[in-house]
Amino acid sequence: MKQALDVAREIRQGTTTAAVVLAQTEARIQALNPGLNCFTTTTFKRARREAAAIDALRARGAILPPLAGVPYAVKNLFDIEGAVTLAGAKINESNPAAARDAHLVARLRAAGAVLVGALNMDENAYGFTTENTHYGVTRNPHDRSRVCGGSSGGSAAAVAAGIVPLSLGSDTNGSIRVPASFCGIFGLKPTYGRLGRGGSFPFVNSLDHVGPFAANVDDLAALYDVLQGPDPTDPACAQRPADPVATRLGTIVGLRVGILHGWFHEWSDAAARRSVDLAAGALRSATGVQPKGAELKSAAAARAAAFVITAAEGGTLHSARLKSRYAEFEPQSRARLVAGSLVPAPWVVQAQGVRQQVYEEAMGLFKRFDLLLAAATPVIAPVIGTETLDINGHALPMRASLGLLTQPISCIGLPVCSAPLWPDGNAAGAMPLGVQLIAAPWREDVCLAAARALEQAEVARVSTSLGL
Amino acid sequence: MPNSSAEEYVRAALALQGYAFDTAQIAEIALQFSRIEAVAHTLLEFPLPWGSQGAPVFRP
Repeated sequence: MKQALDVAREIRQGTTTAAVVLAQTEARIQALNPGLNCFTTTTFKRARREAAAIDALRARGAILPPLAGVPYAVKNLFDIEGAVTLAGAKINESNPAAARDAHLVARLRAAGAVLVGALNMDENAYGFTTENTHYGVTRNPHDRSRVCGGSSGGSAAAVAAGIVPLSLGSDTNGSIRVPASFCGIFGLKPTYGRLGRGGSFPFVNSLDHVGPFAANVDDLAALYDVLQGPDPTDPACAQRPADPVATRLGTIVGLRVGILHGWFHEWSDAAARRSVDLAAGALRSATGVQPKGAELKSAAAARAAAFVITAAEGGTLHSARLKSRYAEFEPQSRARLVAGSLVPAPWVVQAQGVRQQVYEEAMGLFKRFDLLLAAATPVIAPVIGTETLDINGHALPMRASLGLLTQPISCIGLPVCSAPLWPDGNAAGAMPLGVQLIAAPWREDVCLAAARALEQAEVARVSTSLGL
Repeated sequence: MPNSSAEEYVRAALALQGYAFDTAQIAEIALQFSRIEAVAHTLLEFPLPWGSQGAPVFRP
């Protein structure tokens, strides 16, 4: 599969057409999706209309928008005009179809991108594995016996498999970074409030982020730039001007890198630590500065705050239907949702207070560092159906624990790019395990510049030999 | 295994909020609640400065 920006350029130059690119994408979906189960819906009729409009624009000699003719797909919690927004839940199938596109889908439509479908996810975004009882498990393209991560699992697997070059997901506790890590692609969780969430099915309003996936940093940055802009329908969307990054991802010479120790080291297994070491070595070469140890002392409390806020807000959001239609909810998460709706108010108030304290501690770290580095997941992608994780001798419930390293960061809204590392190199059966490149609020440019340095050093890479 | 006070709390809170579940379902919910409670302990032990502001609408 070609890069998104190459596709757009070839369509602009007339060496191919949007219709041809779409036909190739449809063929990839038909060939690969049955084995992976990334898509829950395809939107080929709309896609043909959008592709034809792009080709007509070019035939008239018009200037084409930046992603003209580039195919993409979205997690099925984004509204698509005329389609029912599932958010991974069978219970939503009887909802009315969306009256209009979600804010980010509308922005991509305006940028000329071609929507080919909606992607599988954990029900209500409450999970890290995309083992969806109603719509099936989405399998990891690198090893189909393993999970692809979640909750934006379909979004990551579709890009990793080369079906589409771009996709959208959401991240409340790690739902972009975990699947990006397991599937070996790039994902960006922007600063809280940077991208508008209008028309996306909510989970935890005080923690929900939306963001892009891509197979390389240039595509990721270009997509991120297209997505930026005010969203009057999302009260959390920051009143800040767009801050395009794609044309200014320059050198990172002199960048001060802190390697997160403490909690982040303790909950990283040997493979995760190798990914961090590989990334740190490459960043040292690219920056010319030796990375130093850094510690976010309140990380455990931050993770706990995220866990409690998620349980309480998520459970409360669904409590009415949990009372009347419990049997129709995902068996993997429905009892957790109910339990969350019972969380005492003082715990939530304490969690919001802790969050502010953690944020202030992190801002102190950014006086000493420009970038913080940690593994994205404690382990490589577990085998489908795994119940218990062993992390450095600690047995933990798998589905609730894959976000141990991502939750303390999203809890305080920092921007993070997940970059695909390969801790076992090119060994047979090697699986990816990504790293988090974390910057101060609104400095997505730093995250992406660091990701590009890792990509240029060929330490972060997207495998194209999936054996599909 | 949830402790007895957590299970009693869950039973009372379910009734208060108008949920109706059978014994097996209550046991599963109580197990999940006990996991949240275990994580929450870390949080509740965190010392907050008196009068510190929370972040209910978080704006970096």
